[in-house]
Amino acid sequence: MYLTREEEAMLRGDYGEAVAKAMQVIVKVGEALGAERLVEIRHAHISGVSYGNIGDPGVKLLEELAEAGAMFRVPTTVNPIGFDLESPGFFGAGASFASGQARILRALRRMGAQLTLSCTPYYTPTVRGIPPGSHVAWGESNAVVYANTVLGLKTNREGGPLALMAAITGRTYYYGLHLDENRVPSKAYIYRGRRLDEARAGVLGEIVALEHREENPPLVDVGGVGETPLREFLAALGAAGNVGMAVIPGVTPGARWSAEELREKVEIEDADVEARLSRIAPTSLDVVFLGCPHYSLEDLARLADELEKLGGSKIPIIVSAPRGAVLEAASSGLLVRLWRLGVRLSGDTCMIVSPMNVKGLRVGTNSYKAYFYLKRKGARVGLAPEEWLLELAARG
Amino acid sequence: MKLKGRALVPGNASGKAVVIDYISFYGDVDVDRATLRDGRSLKGSVIVARASRGSTVGSYVIYALARKHGAPKAIVMEKAEPIVVTGCVLAGVPLVDGIPWSQLSKIREGSVVTVRSDGTVEVS
Repeated sequence: MYLTREEEAMLRGDYGEAVAKAMQVIVKVGEALGAERLVEIRHAHISGVSYGNIGDPGVKLLEELAEAGAMFRVPTTVNPIGFDLESPGFFGAGASFASGQARILRALRRMGAQLTLSCTPYYTPTVRGIPPGSHVAWGESNAVVYANTVLGLKTNREGGPLALMAAITGRTYYYGLHLDENRVPSKAYIYRGRRLDEARAGVLGEIVALEHREENPPLVDVGGVGETPLREFLAALGAAGNVGMAVIPGVTPGARWSAEELREKVEIEDADVEARLSRIAPTSLDVVFLGCPHYSLEDLARLADELEKLGGSKIPIIVSAPRGAVLEAASSGLLVRLWRLGVRLSGDTCMIVSPMNVKGLRVGTNSYKAYFYLKRKGARVGLAPEEWLLELAARG
Repeated sequence: MKLKGRALVPGNASGKAVVIDYISFYGDVDVDRATLRDGRSLKGSVIVARASRGSTVGSYVIYALARKHGAPKAIVMEKAEPIVVTGCVLAGVPLVDGIPWSQLSKIREGSVVTVRSDGTVEVS
């Protein structure tokens, strides 16, 4: 692999032990994948931040780097942790979990991370200020797809540790979605059905993810779609498949393709989505989980309005959001309104990355991504749009 | 059966095949038990898969398996993506890709798979 003189110096150890170690990993991964060189990045987003996800081996990796003097060379945001910092017990975190989590946060803070603790870095102002076309290194599958598809940023689906090493060196390997020719869609998916709600958008994401076996991204005509369903669609692509980008007409900046390059066109009908949704919809519920990916302030306001019309919920509704959104909700009175309506709003975390025991729990969610992972954690999880879940919740 | 792929993370190893279509290392693997969620043991195995999918935390799962002495001996795939490559680099687990799933899916569960650093995969 070609390295600049500065990169060679990093690899040699001229910038310290931590930079050298991080550089070794990036070069090894890049060489394995056939990358010819590295590329400078503007921003990194690190996944693998919950103690429940990375355990003691992950803690030690982070601590060793911090101890060796690692400092992030680019602005770096990080994923959710395993509990709400203001009420650690709620998601089932005991003392040993809390202490492992604290060590992770300490190491990340020491290296200079912006502790956003959110899976939606694409809503943070610093990220919004990065011009489309910039190279970044992001972990967190839903964020990767959003960055490439909606913001026009360029990133591969980086593993958590690789995003960490990229933050330390300010570089990643030049491969995959960093190259413009790999961002041209190779196969089209046309959805011809009713306007997508969040749950149906997720199901459509699953269908496309399982059908799409190409190297290049899918072109997807989703019809008119709101921000929340769009986010759920992209998150489903990243969970059900290994898709790192979609090209969506009218959404993706700088998208270019020619009809001749599209080898195949797949039409997806209303009935395809309905059939799948009806198989995984909930029948009865213990709890509703919303906010995967994290709900925005707009989502929270809509939720309060809808729930108010129904007179509140008779079962718990757990909602995850970034700490910033929780604080804003608190200062505007929205937090108290939600609380009265039966909503438990949490910052910093979510049900999936928390140690909460969900085995056998009947969870209703509007997120395909949450459906995918909660099922694997043993929950009896059902997928339905928020509107439907709230009606079930209001009836009790 | 002898197959030829690309050694992304070169190494020589052999173990019993655990065959799975798509694998999301985060979600499909129980790290503490070193098993798949369906109970199949990963310790000392050779994971044979079409591709990986899902969470970017997958690299940490492979790394944690190795640190807890529950790692597979090798991973063989039709198509490896950066998440798995990173996990295998950190964990020192040999990784071969570039063998069509139509061939890999014929490997019988539990048969002995030997991976060589030139990308050769032998099944006996």
